[in-house]
Amino acid sequence: MVMHTVSSYRFESLEETISQLSKEDCQIIAGGTDIMVQHKSPRGVPAKFEKPIVFIDHLKELKKIYQNNQDIHIGACCSYSELLKHPLIPKILKVAIQQIAAPAIRNRGTLGGNICNASPAGDTLPLLYIYNAKIKLRSSKGERLIEIKDFIQGPRKVKISKDEILTEIILPEVQEEGTHFVFEKVANRRADAIAKISFAGSLRLDEGRIIDARFAFGAVGPTVVRFMDIEQTIVGEAFPLDNMVIDRVVAGFDRKINPIDDHRSTAVYRKTVALNLLRYFLKKRAFKEGHRIN
Amino acid sequence: MIKFKLNGKEVETSAPPTLRLIDLLRDEFDLIGTKEGCGDGECGACSVMVNNLVQNSCLIPIGAIECADILTIDGYSKTELFKILSDCYSEAGAVQCGFCIPGMVMASAALLSENPNPTEEEIREGISGNLCRCTGYNMIVDAISLAAKKGDGIW
Amino acid sequence: MLNKDISTSVKKKEHDGKVSGQLPYISDVKLDTLLYGVLYRSPVAYGKVRSIQLPPLPAGYEKIGAEHIPGNNFVKILKEDQPIFANEWVNYIGEPMFMLVGPELDILYQLLEQVEVDIEEHQAIFTLKEAIEQKDQAGIFASHEFGEDLDVIQSIEKNAHQVIVEEYETGYQEHVYLEPQGMLGIYKQDEILVEGSMQCLYYVKNALVSALACEDDEVRVIQSPTGGGFGGKEDFPSMMACHVAVAAKVVKKPVMLLFDRAEDMEVTTKRHPAKFKYRTALDKQGNILCMSVELFLDSGANAGLSPVVLQRALLNSAGVYKIPHFHAKGYALKTNTVPNGAFRGFGAPQSFAAIESHMGHISKKANRDSIEYKRNYMVKQGDPTITNGKFKDPVLLEDMIMDLMKVTDYAKKKAEYRSFNQKSNRYKKGIGASFFLHGCGFTGSGERDHIKATVKLAKTENDGVQIKISNADIGQGVLTTMSKIVAKELDLPYEDISFPYPDTKVVPDSGPTVASRTTMIVGKLLERAAKKLKEQWQSGVAQEVIEHYVHEEMIPWNEEKFSGDAYPAYAWGINFIEVEVDTLTGNVRVEKVYGSFDIGKAIDERIVKGQIDGGLVQGIAYGFMEKMTSKSGRIQQKSISDYGPPTAMDVVHIESKLFDNPYAGGPYGAKGVGELPLTGGAPAVQAAIEDALQISFYQIPVTPEYIIESLMKKAGEALD
Ligand SMILES: Cc1cc2nc3c(=O)[nH]c(=O)nc-3n(C[C@H](O)[C@H](O)[C@H](O)COP(=O)(O)OP(=O)(O)OC[C@H]3O[C@@H](n4cnc5c(N)ncnc54)[C@H](O)[C@@H]3O)c2cc1C
Ligand code: FES
Ligand code: FES
Repeated sequence: MVMHTVSSYRFESLEETISQLSKEDCQIIAGGTDIMVQHKSPRGVPAKFEKPIVFIDHLKELKKIYQNNQDIHIGACCSYSELLKHPLIPKILKVAIQQIAAPAIRNRGTLGGNICNASPAGDTLPLLYIYNAKIKLRSSKGERLIEIKDFIQGPRKVKISKDEILTEIILPEVQEEGTHFVFEKVANRRADAIAKISFAGSLRLDEGRIIDARFAFGAVGPTVVRFMDIEQTIVGEAFPLDNMVIDRVVAGFDRKINPIDDHRSTAVYRKTVALNLLRYFLKKRAFKEGHRIN
Repeated sequence: MIKFKLNGKEVETSAPPTLRLIDLLRDEFDLIGTKEGCGDGECGACSVMVNNLVQNSCLIPIGAIECADILTIDGYSKTELFKILSDCYSEAGAVQCGFCIPGMVMASAALLSENPNPTEEEIREGISGNLCRCTGYNMIVDAISLAAKKGDGIW
Repeated sequence: MLNKDISTSVKKKEHDGKVSGQLPYISDVKLDTLLYGVLYRSPVAYGKVRSIQLPPLPAGYEKIGAEHIPGNNFVKILKEDQPIFANEWVNYIGEPMFMLVGPELDILYQLLEQVEVDIEEHQAIFTLKEAIEQKDQAGIFASHEFGEDLDVIQSIEKNAHQVIVEEYETGYQEHVYLEPQGMLGIYKQDEILVEGSMQCLYYVKNALVSALACEDDEVRVIQSPTGGGFGGKEDFPSMMACHVAVAAKVVKKPVMLLFDRAEDMEVTTKRHPAKFKYRTALDKQGNILCMSVELFLDSGANAGLSPVVLQRALLNSAGVYKIPHFHAKGYALKTNTVPNGAFRGFGAPQSFAAIESHMGHISKKANRDSIEYKRNYMVKQGDPTITNGKFKDPVLLEDMIMDLMKVTDYAKKKAEYRSFNQKSNRYKKGIGASFFLHGCGFTGSGERDHIKATVKLAKTENDGVQIKISNADIGQGVLTTMSKIVAKELDLPYEDISFPYPDTKVVPDSGPTVASRTTMIVGKLLERAAKKLKEQWQSGVAQEVIEHYVHEEMIPWNEEKFSGDAYPAYAWGINFIEVEVDTLTGNVRVEKVYGSFDIGKAIDERIVKGQIDGGLVQGIAYGFMEKMTSKSGRIQQKSISDYGPPTAMDVVHIESKLFDNPYAGGPYGAKGVGELPLTGGAPAVQAAIEDALQISFYQIPVTPEYIIESLMKKAGEALD
């Protein structure tokens, strides 16, 4: 019986890391909070990996947060704790991050990891969808940008090639002023819990009319879902919204969302709660600062 | 060879980089204070500090800790700050079966070093990754507030 | 330190070792030549084993199976139906069939994957519902029936204004002790030594003597520091002990068996799911004329402790109420699922959740406030129990309720919440209460006939005193409380009393660490032993005193007829709980928790508070958070977060109060406290959710899914 151990790399620079990826198919480990659980062996046996490991969470190049024009650039390996402390990170994103796991995981888990793991229950994802976040990928051949909705294909499935690394998440033009955001995570307890369903929404108003509307749901399908065609139908409507309009929007989502039963919850629950939260957000007569986190 | 600092001393190991930190600590360095309650990052019994931040040692492949500064309960329990926490845990009646306690102490220490005067809410959040099935948490929360007071100025 | 009032708290004996992490639990033990065991578990819920094919085993690796058991291939509990290694029939998914033993876990797991087992599958019973429907086809482990004649009940029902028929269900509860199960078997020339995480040393020892077919002095059991038990380490460790002992005997080396969390969640015992069927006849004013209940426990694949759990469930089926013409019938049924066993409360939490719920629902039908309604039926001192025993000691429930009504400002709060709920669309608030008791010690004459506890106190020539009992500190503070009792009696400083982790070579059988009996029964024996030692005290001389259990005069218990005094004493409690429910998500936030308890007298206030807090949090979570399900014989929630026990953020401070009511049979008046605080959590939280939503619920946990479903139904009815 043979025990094999895989080789592993931990380079000082992003450059060297990328160069290695161009030569060899590797398993990237950032914080490891997803990958170590997925590759876990029974107690007392080391985690099993097929491919050589590349550690990236120490790379300074992947830990920067800065603003360029109106866009916010977030290094893929910023941990949740680092994001929570940074002034450039939008408040509502912090609301979501604050609800992820618990401090110890937030000290390790990274934004890039949450995206690449591509769980439909990933807590940063619904907001990244409504921000139209762009994913910057780099390989030895160069860089490319891709919209998050195109990047994420399904659970643990993302459009990345073997030689690429996710370097930055770009939030285009975040206008916090004048936009009303909501993020609600529904889970079986208040910490260390995976979302049964999550909802992110934003409404931008101008002189009593909606000029931009976005809604995204987590854990109701294989990926986070957003339906821009429905969103468009309320652009231009007067706010507060007419009940008929609200009914129409909710009915639209009702037709499109198809969650499943699993060990965490039921399809009926997921759908009902998703629509409840949407309706509640749409029904708001007015927006106040802050909202209750459950 | 992976080199890092463990409880104040420079150490190195030739163990494979995918080995979990918890296994390295317990098996190679005989540090039994770090406990395994789940191996999934869900109980906090394995909490240690990595560069002063509390983390779950069951989720850390040791390849990732090159050059890091690791503090475990075995090292921390030799400090003055630990003594305060230990006394407060006793005074508040925070210890029952004890299996969560070393991890809980590490989480408490991390919390207090970052926020020496936490509110009750902040304490609850600070230990929210540490499962305790015996105490119902309240006496642990009390122990931490007590420690904040007793160690005022030195956290 | 000389202790004045026994209730004053002291530093726990084992504090330093625990807080520094240096006290070794079983998984911390290291030995040269240590081998590990891994179990091959049945992949099938019910079937006949046709063949087992192993891959070639490398040198140093062995298969340990039924063929290696010198004695009986069953774990000695109550019935002989639980194989140590299932080699003929398998009865549930996860049942151990054999064990592979060797030096490297990695290799052991690889070997396990290459095992091929051929099992002829038979039709399994997966749910309690199926078990109830088919119960007459040999699926009954135990049943009892007692109370009013059914003829009488029938004629009362005939003349009643209405008969309320209600069903109620309770779910699994998983212990999630923080330390997973672990056991170590050590081969020695003249004995097999087993060390591990456990509550009941002599259960383990007796199981070993039976499995190894050996003399009493050929096996020895030592308890390791135990990372929580809650009943989960009452019966289950006996099986693991047999596994490692048989293996150690064969390979002549130490063998360690440690469970992974997922394995622990999937295959170890849990709280029995239960179903209750009530028929209650009411008169025009809503007064109860008679009540009959049928209850069913899902025992899982073997009897285990289920027959005794059933007894406790039945004995508590009328709650704290004196119900006219009460009749009860109960069954412990077999299903092909993981065996259920002991869990803090032992059948009582199910029954209290059910009866409190039912009484609450009846009070609604009668248009009366549920607390006021329940108070009409509350038992008082001198009243008979449902088995025609007697509540002979003072019952302080009334005082406790009056007090908490005042503290919570109950009437005002109700009004406040009503108006809050009218204004608030999303969040609704409610308050609920529960009233409960716990019979302390073993049921009936168990202490006298089965346990026959013995304790020893040994004094050294240096006048140090050592406690020798088989009761295990699993976090509840036994090392400390027992030492305090002995110290106080001997007028010695508490530090002078030593109480090492028990070893059957050294300690007599003072009984298992269960049934909230340790403080009351064993503590009392130690108090007597200490008194005796004091009388005989000779400084500088080694001395030993022994005390045996003496049965208190009661109305004799008849297990056949289910009559007489089931318990020598009762501890009592009430809870008030306030919640806020999010009607959009069904999420419940517990906002306030009050508990008042009569546990006789606290031996250590801090320890008692710890029991109250920990137990109540488990009980509350049982009522609305912790959800475990089984699908086709497989447990679905295999990780802590999927199951969802509360985190520190799910809990609030608990305002608890003790009502002194010393019991003469307990040390310094102490009764049991271990299980009581769990019992009232679920019913109080359910009542509070019902109050907030004005909806009745018929099962626990009252999950967000159940709440949303009920709210939808209510909205649908409103439309109709
Ligand atoms: C106990 C526990 C609780 C949790 N709770 C939550 C929660 O509440 N909400 C939530 O959303 N998540 C939760 N998670 C999941 C996890 O913590 C997050 O998804 C985290 O963001 C993952 O980041 P990481 O850096 O640890 O990822 P890793 O595990 O390192 O990586 C995950 C995947 O992404 C790939 N990857 C990572 N970074 C890059 C990169 N820069 N370029 C290319 N590929 C990359 C890796 O190869 C791997 O396939 C929890 C996990 C645990 C163990
Ligand atoms: S053992 Fe690491 S979190 Fe449980
Ligand atoms: S003291 Fe037992 S789990 Fe915390």
